[in-house]
Amino acid sequence: MTLSSIIWTVVKILIVVGFIVNLSAILTWMERRQSAMMQDRVGPNRAEITVFGYKIRLFGLLYPIADAVKMFTKEDFIPPNADKVLHSLAPMLSLFPPLVVLGVVPFTDTLCLDNLHEVVQKNGVVASNWHFFSSWIEQPSCSLPGAKNFIDGCCVIGCQTAGVVHQPWAEHFGTCPANVAPGMIGAIHMQVIDFNPGVLYVFALAGMGIVGASIAGWSSDNKFSLMGGLRAASQLVSYEVAMGLSIVGAIMVYGTIRLDEMTRWQGDHVWGVFVQPLAFILFLTAAIAETKRAPFDLPEGESEIVAGYLVEYSGMKFGMFYMGEFIEIATSSALLVAIFLGGYNMPFLHRDGITIAVGDAVVWKQHIPHILVILMQAGAFFGKIFVLCWFQMFVRWTLPRFRYDQLMKLGWRMLLPAALANIFLTGVILIAFDRTGTEFQERMGVVGDFVNLATAIAITFVQLWIVIGFFGSTQPAIRRNAFNKRARSAGEIVEKALAS
Amino acid sequence: MPQPLVGSFPYDKVKGTAVPKPTRTASEQGYVSEITKGIAVTMTHFFKNTRAMVRGERPDPVVDPMSEGITTLEYPDQKRPYPERFRGVHRLTHRDDGSPRCVACLCCSTACPAQCIYIEAGEYGGKDKRHGYERYPVKFVIDELRCIFCGYCVEACPCDAIRMDTGVHPVPYDSRDQFIYGKNMLLAMASQAGKQKHENPRAEPPDADYGPIERLAGHH
Amino acid sequence: MEPTDYDIDETDLELPAEPMRLNMGPSHPAMHGTIRMVLELDGESVEKVDVQLGYLHRGFEKMCERGTWAQVFPYTDRLNYVSPILNNVGYALAVEKLAGIVVPERCQYYRVILGELARISDHLTCNGAMAMELGAFTPFLWIMKGREHIWDLLEEETGARLTHSFFRIGGVAKPPRPELKARVREVVDAVLLILDESEKLLLKNRIFVDRLQGVGHITAAEAVQYGFTGTVLRATGVAYDVRKAHPYLVYDRMEFDVPVGTDGDNWDRFMCRLYEIRQSCRILAQACEQMPDDGPVNVERPEIVLPEKEAVYKTIEGTIQHFKLVMEGALIPAGEVYSYTEAGNGELGFFIVSDGSGTPYRVRVRPPCVFTLQGFPRMIRGHMVADIVPTFGSVNMIGGECDR
Repeated sequence: MTLSSIIWTVVKILIVVGFIVNLSAILTWMERRQSAMMQDRVGPNRAEITVFGYKIRLFGLLYPIADAVKMFTKEDFIPPNADKVLHSLAPMLSLFPPLVVLGVVPFTDTLCLDNLHEVVQKNGVVASNWHFFSSWIEQPSCSLPGAKNFIDGCCVIGCQTAGVVHQPWAEHFGTCPANVAPGMIGAIHMQVIDFNPGVLYVFALAGMGIVGASIAGWSSDNKFSLMGGLRAASQLVSYEVAMGLSIVGAIMVYGTIRLDEMTRWQGDHVWGVFVQPLAFILFLTAAIAETKRAPFDLPEGESEIVAGYLVEYSGMKFGMFYMGEFIEIATSSALLVAIFLGGYNMPFLHRDGITIAVGDAVVWKQHIPHILVILMQAGAFFGKIFVLCWFQMFVRWTLPRFRYDQLMKLGWRMLLPAALANIFLTGVILIAFDRTGTEFQERMGVVGDFVNLATAIAITFVQLWIVIGFFGSTQPAIRRNAFNKRARSAGEIVEKALAS
Repeated sequence: MPQPLVGSFPYDKVKGTAVPKPTRTASEQGYVSEITKGIAVTMTHFFKNTRAMVRGERPDPVVDPMSEGITTLEYPDQKRPYPERFRGVHRLTHRDDGSPRCVACLCCSTACPAQCIYIEAGEYGGKDKRHGYERYPVKFVIDELRCIFCGYCVEACPCDAIRMDTGVHPVPYDSRDQFIYGKNMLLAMASQAGKQKHENPRAEPPDADYGPIERLAGHH
Repeated sequence: MEPTDYDIDETDLELPAEPMRLNMGPSHPAMHGTIRMVLELDGESVEKVDVQLGYLHRGFEKMCERGTWAQVFPYTDRLNYVSPILNNVGYALAVEKLAGIVVPERCQYYRVILGELARISDHLTCNGAMAMELGAFTPFLWIMKGREHIWDLLEEETGARLTHSFFRIGGVAKPPRPELKARVREVVDAVLLILDESEKLLLKNRIFVDRLQGVGHITAAEAVQYGFTGTVLRATGVAYDVRKAHPYLVYDRMEFDVPVGTDGDNWDRFMCRLYEIRQSCRILAQACEQMPDDGPVNVERPEIVLPEKEAVYKTIEGTIQHFKLVMEGALIPAGEVYSYTEAGNGELGFFIVSDGSGTPYRVRVRPPCVFTLQGFPRMIRGHMVADIVPTFGSVNMIGGECDR
């Protein structure tokens, strides 16, 4: 542990915590405005501050600040018969785990400090000094002896370029030219904690979330709280199982439990969601259940048990639960991204730049300096988290709540068997895949490339669609007096109702 | 113990049409596909509304309250005029010379179900044209907190002296005494169109078109 | 002192299992209308419910004995505060029955139109709030938008959004506006569109269906024994609708169906309300077709109906009649009568007694809610705490008319 590694660790912690805490604040705004847009209303937009006489509203982005001020200045109420120590401990216990889970999630590829301006390949070779016009389908020489062809920054003889193949993780080091071994000065692993348990650590800490909720429920001295705490405990324990088992299939495919290795595998082949679609859905379901939000918000169950374990909390203690909930959304999204949605990888964005290639046919290649690649990867990672949070909001505002026994049935009778079946199927397919010849595996590699191509096209299309739809098109979004024009079709509805 | 249906309900007279039961097809039972469809419905709303907000094409809720999309008013900034029949805060109508049309007959305070109107009647002085002809309200007080805005006072008024067409809903104040509207306050209110005069066609002594009928002074 | 281990028999070591008493309400998010339920819970399932009402008691019936017959209308607004027009109609019909009045045809259609609009708003509120309490907030707000259209229309017609106080004995406070029919058609279309969209989120969503189907069921025989009326009764399969069984106003000229359920569970109640909204739209379409565009709206009974304002201003007869009616009230002949109409929740009955004076001797209301509420413990027994929410929502207890 040298001084520089400590400094870098602190920097990484600041990046992750800063991002997540700010994201959770933005998520509160997003939840309010997004649900408003879904529900045909405007949403909160009136919080304003006056700076030098200018009134600034920022579309309601100031609400999180107003919330914070309100929560800090509110009375911190502890019920007279409550267990005061546990009552105060519970919010911390529920805020802390989701925050530290993110320690093992890599947010970019290994950063080579010495080669920021150069093009660094996957195997740690500097391809060339980067010039803007120098790199049209340039084939750098392969430095390993015996290599025939050079694709994707990787000598063909050394590593499999594509294909759904289980590979030893050691080949996928994001090595740096200066020093081949990772973790030394000059090669910085962009995850806070660089250690082997990976996913196990995630589950160990995610399980801690139960403790906060159930302690809060028990210590509040309120029957509604107690029911909320019990519901939280049983719900989280049940879904922890489904969550853990759903990921086993993915672990089998990736051959590792380290999240950075998983991400690299997805960069080399295809995103995990395409090889483990069932596991993705199961994990998403379980992750939403872990965040205790609709349709799984039974522990809080507004209309049933008032606010569940939150009943007796006020002020910043409530604020911590509230923040923990939003951080948990961001955390679960980050895990989903790292395990199933390619982490920081975008299709065809490699360590040395953009290479659009299907099989051996390289369509287009553009070298990009290392620092830009790292920034693009970070952007991709945080962008994916954002999109996933956005999607979770849709789920939350579209679906009604489960009932307690239905929730348990879903967890134990649907998700758990499905996860087990997924493990079984994955195992069978993996064995069968290993028995097939290299030719078939290479063909699968080409299929993987096509999937990547489709993903890239889909992402581009959606972005274009949003940009053009929002700003380009001249057709107004909502026809004015639309109703009168739609009256004719509505008249048909009345006719239908009359006929029924 | 449940007993067989008895009594005179006309069970046979009316035949009901049974409502459908949930279909519960395989795709519905599997959650995922129907949930995706539901999210697609909400997403349509989201994109439409966000796009309209971003482009500033939102239909104006003041003039177009029945369009699709967002029609909520941002209240203190945007206000929709109240309909013509809306029963708002009361006003006392004026005569031509600006005096209240009210003759203190106590019809409105009698008709008021909430008993929120207090009137003290007084006689006009000896020199006044209306002396001996009619009375006037010395005090006319409406407690707008007790008022239930039923409009009975307007209906009960025989000379169009009290009206509720101000288009002002009861304004929230800080303290209760501010809700008690006195005669001057009520006289200061105008209708939505800005009128303060009454529309009673019958001319009374101080009105401009009051006819030549003179009553003897002291005639009661 | 705690007994030590060797003092106790093995059999005593089992944990004592006594039900948990949980006090739901009167201040609780799901207990709209301030009602209190004392639950005895075994884990999450409900063993016993004690429903206690009376937290919204305002002495409605006693207050009615204070003023004139006409001054009761504002009180009826506050009975079922989700569909006040229907209460107004019910009370007006009761007094008219006692006084032997039949209002002119135009007024009857006007009452039907406004009443059916109120019924739609009642059912929209009930279904929307029920979905909202189950966590589906988005369809609720869409539905509220539809209700807003209806209330805007009612405000234009009556002058108030909620407390209309619009109908009078022997007629109506103001004649229908000329644009009424066009506006009704417009509003009905808008509501149906919104309803279709909201249904997309609910009816095929298994989470929602599971919460409703098979929960809170009651048999037809029990429902009749408890005295259920309205949608809660029809959901059990009994097609008793006052509008069909004992037609009043002009309902016998309307063509509409009575949606009935089969099991009497939450799903049937929910669906019955949805289909009743559509039937109300049918009635509205027909009423708009048949309603005459001009003609009197008030009955020709000078001793009961206030004279025209013009007559009050200009003629001494009108003024005298006006003063008589305002000061003394309309004199309703002595006697007693029970009149019942189909309100939002079921049969809303008014039993009124007159001693021949201008003041009611007794106004007794038969609210549909009390009867459905007394069957509520029967519906919920054996289900879970979470089932109280949709069941109580679908019973549609309105505190105003329940406690009066």
